[in-house]
Amino acid sequence: MSHAVQAQEVAYAYPQHGYGLPSVSLQLDPGEVLHVAGPSGSGKSTLARCLSGLIPHLYRGRLTGEVRLAGLRTHTAPLWRLAEQAGLVFQNPAAQMLTVTTEDEIIFGLENLGLPPSVIESRLETALARFHLEPFRHRSPHTLSGGEQQKLALAAITARQPPVLILDEPLSMLDSTASMELVAHLEDLARAGTTVVICEHRGEYLQAVPSLQTVHLNGSASPTAEPGHRLTRAAPQVAHFRLDVSNLTVRLGGRPVLRDVTLSAESGQVLAIVGRNGVGKTTLLRALAGLQQYRGEITVGGQRPDFGIVYQNPSLQLFNATVREEVLYRIDDPDLDRYAWLMAALGLSRYEETPPLLLSEGEKKRLALAMTLMRGPRHGILLDEPALGQDAAHKAILMRLASALADEGQLVILTTHDLALASQADRMLILGENGFVADGPPAEVLSDDDPWAQVSLRVPSWVVSE
Amino acid sequence: MRLRASRRPRTVSLAEHSPLRHADPRTKLALSLCASLAVMLPLDRLVAFIALYVVLLLWARLLPEAARQIWRLKWVLIPLFILDWLLVGLDLAVIVTLRIILLAGAFALFVRTTTPSELRLALEWLRVPYRYAFSVSLAFQSVGLLEDEWHTIREAQRSRGAWNLEWKGWRKLSSQAVGRAGLLPAWLRHLSPRTLLRMYESLVSQVREFVALTVPAIVLTTKRAWSLTEAAYARGFDSPRRSSYRRLSMQRQDWILLTAAVLVGILYLGWRVAGPFM
Repeated sequence: MSHAVQAQEVAYAYPQHGYGLPSVSLQLDPGEVLHVAGPSGSGKSTLARCLSGLIPHLYRGRLTGEVRLAGLRTHTAPLWRLAEQAGLVFQNPAAQMLTVTTEDEIIFGLENLGLPPSVIESRLETALARFHLEPFRHRSPHTLSGGEQQKLALAAITARQPPVLILDEPLSMLDSTASMELVAHLEDLARAGTTVVICEHRGEYLQAVPSLQTVHLNGSASPTAEPGHRLTRAAPQVAHFRLDVSNLTVRLGGRPVLRDVTLSAESGQVLAIVGRNGVGKTTLLRALAGLQQYRGEITVGGQRPDFGIVYQNPSLQLFNATVREEVLYRIDDPDLDRYAWLMAALGLSRYEETPPLLLSEGEKKRLALAMTLMRGPRHGILLDEPALGQDAAHKAILMRLASALADEGQLVILTTHDLALASQADRMLILGENGFVADGPPAEVLSDDDPWAQVSLRVPSWVVSE
Repeated sequence: MRLRASRRPRTVSLAEHSPLRHADPRTKLALSLCASLAVMLPLDRLVAFIALYVVLLLWARLLPEAARQIWRLKWVLIPLFILDWLLVGLDLAVIVTLRIILLAGAFALFVRTTTPSELRLALEWLRVPYRYAFSVSLAFQSVGLLEDEWHTIREAQRSRGAWNLEWKGWRKLSSQAVGRAGLLPAWLRHLSPRTLLRMYESLVSQVREFVALTVPAIVLTTKRAWSLTEAAYARGFDSPRRSSYRRLSMQRQDWILLTAAVLVGILYLGWRVAGPFM
């Protein structure tokens, strides 16, 4: 009998830069779950594309070895046959939305299976219910939050019920409750015979999966900033200030996104804001950065604050020819000392002459952070999901950098779904539908069950035990 | 640095309130096409037709939408009007402008009330192969998204000080010059070679800036197109055995609209034949 997935010495190199995937062999039977781990840039996404057949069908470049899906050779079988065998959910959910309503997004894949309308109808309803997407069924996918889009991308593929499911960083944008629900759902699918391949940094969530297999990809890329790298530096201390946000209300497209949010924060702290997908965390940061119209007050000493913001999708900010030019863009008389320090601290030193758009998503994110810090915003920085696509080593660097900035006297505000990361901040806030429901030192906030229950977020056991 | 806050919701929405929102896309396509054919009419009949079309838009509660669409073309229409008037004459200026306005308005009716998947179904009904019908519908929905993306890129870059010079250099330069000179002839005298060189440098840097800012737009658009291609194939886009969940069906309203359109067409044909200039 043929295996659900069989890869023999598969290796691939992209035509543009020659990197890709080092040789991998694996064999999976129905019902098995494989966790593909490895640092950023080690080839996890490339492996996902090789296993699903998109490589070699849509990519030139050099592929060696062979992949078989239920006996079908990916080299020769048509792509639609392979897509029926193996469903691939990509890393960036926003970029895979093909239609203008949530409902159509799911229907598209079902129509391509040639299913009769009645079956499409029932699968659609199941998928919408399973991923809690009913409220958005007639909304455009492009108006959903990152996490909601992630759920929709998962719904659109799982509704097709492929025997093999390949997920590229499916948890990166999901809150803890949604992550645990997804893992439970994947366990159900595996019990029913689906083979599941998950490329994921946040492996903690998968540990509970029975008979989980793990493969580690050790790409050439690993953090260049060694753990002991000096992250504190003698920098001019920022004068003490206080950020006051009162009765902040934002409406987007007629829907209230933030209602009466009130917050005050002293400088020299790292604040982590957590909350369910779509609760308005990004909108809050945009308002703080002055990018969003709002009602209410946001002031530092009676004035508008000057924060730098690092976007969830850093590609939007990149347009120069090299990393170095990107970081130093439009900075008169740059502090090259600070530049060198930032590049080393963020593990970017060896990419100075690389075009920014060729970096991996995680690296782009760190580049965007370096750019923002180089501009030296007066009051601090706002990080929207900084942990997205970052491996454990980089997350540790990120948090150390954040606390180094706080030591300088800046205010660092980050939003994240990664509770383990959030628990390293000085202060943790839980954002609910009507403002903050908890606020305090992470240990205290994590030990109080009420606010978590109020926003129906679950705290994974490993976060508390740390 | 002060940033301009975004005002609009970042969505591409349809005119849900319009009675045409749920009309058959084929009807709407036919109406839009007919209206756009009317641009060939001579001035008097064109004006009469536009009046009739405005009535249709009023009924469909789409007049503000169409007006907005036309207003966007103001920087094409106004110079064109002036140019035509100056170079040829008022008659031509009026008719050319009206024709463009009608063309823009004709498709507002379709664009603002039709989803990309309805467009795809209509094209498939017209025997356009699925591949192309799907691509056209994707392009159709991408127009709004591109606009959104462009806006986001500018915003992301403004937050880094790009676009900050945005014509400010000019304003600064000219205000300096005016300030120094006080009067216009004196100001002209201040156009020293150095000032001219500075103006030239400012212009060059702005052009370079604009080019630099188009880079991510092009790169992102290409990447988006690529991601969409991958996403489509990952969900079996090339499958030869497709089914269709939604079906088009003509309602009473559609037949009434089409009959009315045919009657208007006959009326105009008759007018054309009987017309004094034909």
